[in-house]
Amino acid sequence: MPPPADDHLAVSGDGRQMSLAGEWRLPKLPALASALAAARPGSPLTVDGERLISLDSAAALELIRALDAAGLDADSVSWQGFSPPHRRVLDDVLRRRASLAEAVPPKQSRWLAEIGRHALVIYRQGLDHLSFMGETLTAFLELLVAPRRLRLRELTTQLEQACLNAIPVVVLVTLLIGVVFAYLLGLQAEQYGANIFVVDGVGIGMSREFAPIIVAVIIAGRSGAAFTAQLGSMRLTEEIDAIRTLGLSPMQVLVVPRVLALLIALPLLSFIGLVSGLVGAALVADAMLGIPPVSFAERLHDALDITHVWAGLIKTPVFALAISVIACRLGMHVGRDTRAVGLATTSTVVQSIVNVILLDAAFAVLFQELGI
Amino acid sequence: MPAVDSRETVIEVEGIVTRFGANAVHDGVSFSVERGTLVALIGGSGTGKSVLLREIIGLHRPTEGVVRVLGTDMWRAPAEQVAAVRRRFGMTFQDGALFSSLTVAQNVAVPLAEHTSIEPRMREHLVRLRLAQAGLPADAGAKMPSELSGGMRKRAALARALALEPEILFLDEPTSGLDPTTARAFDALVRSLVDNLGITVFLVTHDLDTLLTVVDRLIVLAGGKVLADGPPREIARLDDAWIRSYFAIRTMVGASPDSSDGS
Repeated sequence: MPPPADDHLAVSGDGRQMSLAGEWRLPKLPALASALAAARPGSPLTVDGERLISLDSAAALELIRALDAAGLDADSVSWQGFSPPHRRVLDDVLRRRASLAEAVPPKQSRWLAEIGRHALVIYRQGLDHLSFMGETLTAFLELLVAPRRLRLRELTTQLEQACLNAIPVVVLVTLLIGVVFAYLLGLQAEQYGANIFVVDGVGIGMSREFAPIIVAVIIAGRSGAAFTAQLGSMRLTEEIDAIRTLGLSPMQVLVVPRVLALLIALPLLSFIGLVSGLVGAALVADAMLGIPPVSFAERLHDALDITHVWAGLIKTPVFALAISVIACRLGMHVGRDTRAVGLATTSTVVQSIVNVILLDAAFAVLFQELGI
Repeated sequence: MPAVDSRETVIEVEGIVTRFGANAVHDGVSFSVERGTLVALIGGSGTGKSVLLREIIGLHRPTEGVVRVLGTDMWRAPAEQVAAVRRRFGMTFQDGALFSSLTVAQNVAVPLAEHTSIEPRMREHLVRLRLAQAGLPADAGAKMPSELSGGMRKRAALARALALEPEILFLDEPTSGLDPTTARAFDALVRSLVDNLGITVFLVTHDLDTLLTVVDRLIVLAGGKVLADGPPREIARLDDAWIRSYFAIRTMVGASPDSSDGS
């Protein structure tokens, strides 16, 4: 007759006779553990397994550990009445017991060391970016010598994705920025009756800073992330190695078209963004400040010197180079697992945006010194 | 347990039909697997071995037919019942499919943490037992999957599949991409799981050495049906063009010492 399910363990009065019963399986482990904890086995111990219905290795491990904890060596225990399959499970665990020693806990690094390590990582990454930039420029120089190496089809595909497909979101975002910017300026200007100067402010602001920066940030998130994810997965599936093995240069096949595409796309998108931002501002000016579009255009013509537009646009290829070099390098050098691709993509977006802002600050200082 | 009822059927596949559009992959596949045996499924490329495996474990719905695992109809039983059965079998995928953001030990601990109420200390011990049972050194637990070699990856996947002490193990090409020595060690490991822990193993493979050394029974899939079913050495003697060409390589190599043992 099978014993009740919760009656797993019976220990004789002197603790030298331990009898197991019922199902000793992983789902019952908590109950087994508490039963074993309550038992006080004595030495020499005999363990009887005749009434066991089942025994799996998890339960056998728990039993042996409990005996160990009670100071009993499993080898000195006499095991009785175990059916051959149960005996095999038991032996399997007994045999592995030696290799189950506690693993050494990983060394806790201290925060100072951690800061140093991160600083080194950032430093090395900066160097790597620079060296990859050098490789990219060399690849462009190769193109000057042999222009036919340019992958036109890849370039046009990338241009379509990075430039054409980005137009709607660029227009939408810069239009709204133009609206908000003009509205905020208008609130202040209205108090002094200087409504018309809103046009000056919006014109200079949009062309010098807002359009290039906003568009660069959008492209960093859109195309930069896409480049890293694409190249990263290509590295995972060994496509990049295949390209190399076929005697082609991954720089020419993959990197140059992407960098070139952004170099072309960013100034164009930036100009589109500028126009759309001004349209947004003109809408607000008409509705809120009583400046009809014609007056807006006339004032813009007088107030916005073309150097401001150039000052804005001249920055965009530099932004494009920073974004595409960071994105391509992180993609090409991603670790060989899926998690690394995700991390690299995040890293691309963060690093590109930070670099765009840093470069913009550098430009501001430069223009100030040059008096532009 | 095995000793009481070793003839118990644990996997039952009945009249499986699978179509992808107009293309019929399976056209009435039926077989059953008994507890405590090591069964291999073979077949040429495109005969739908992996699809059949996915249908058995409930990842891909067959067009027609019934799959019963441990008595539960995988495609008609209520979701909780299927989930309960899922906890009673383990599966390893071809490339390991280890969670790349977790260490090996954490990978093995995932099913234990999800499906049992074992306290963390006991869980750690159990994880170490699983690593040892899968033939991994103790220090492998702290490594990330990306730091492992192909063979270690397969072992780590096996350790995770063993976590809940499954009654059935499904292995998809367990020795593919391993060097012969590592592959044979893996075979021996799988065999010992069957012999020592009484686990039923169902594997899809192309490895002739696995088939001829450790497998109890072979199921050959061809033309959408079960072409042959039986012990490997009997199958190898069958007079069928595909089977003959499949085992031909072995006979060619087998001109060497061990050709006398019947293949």
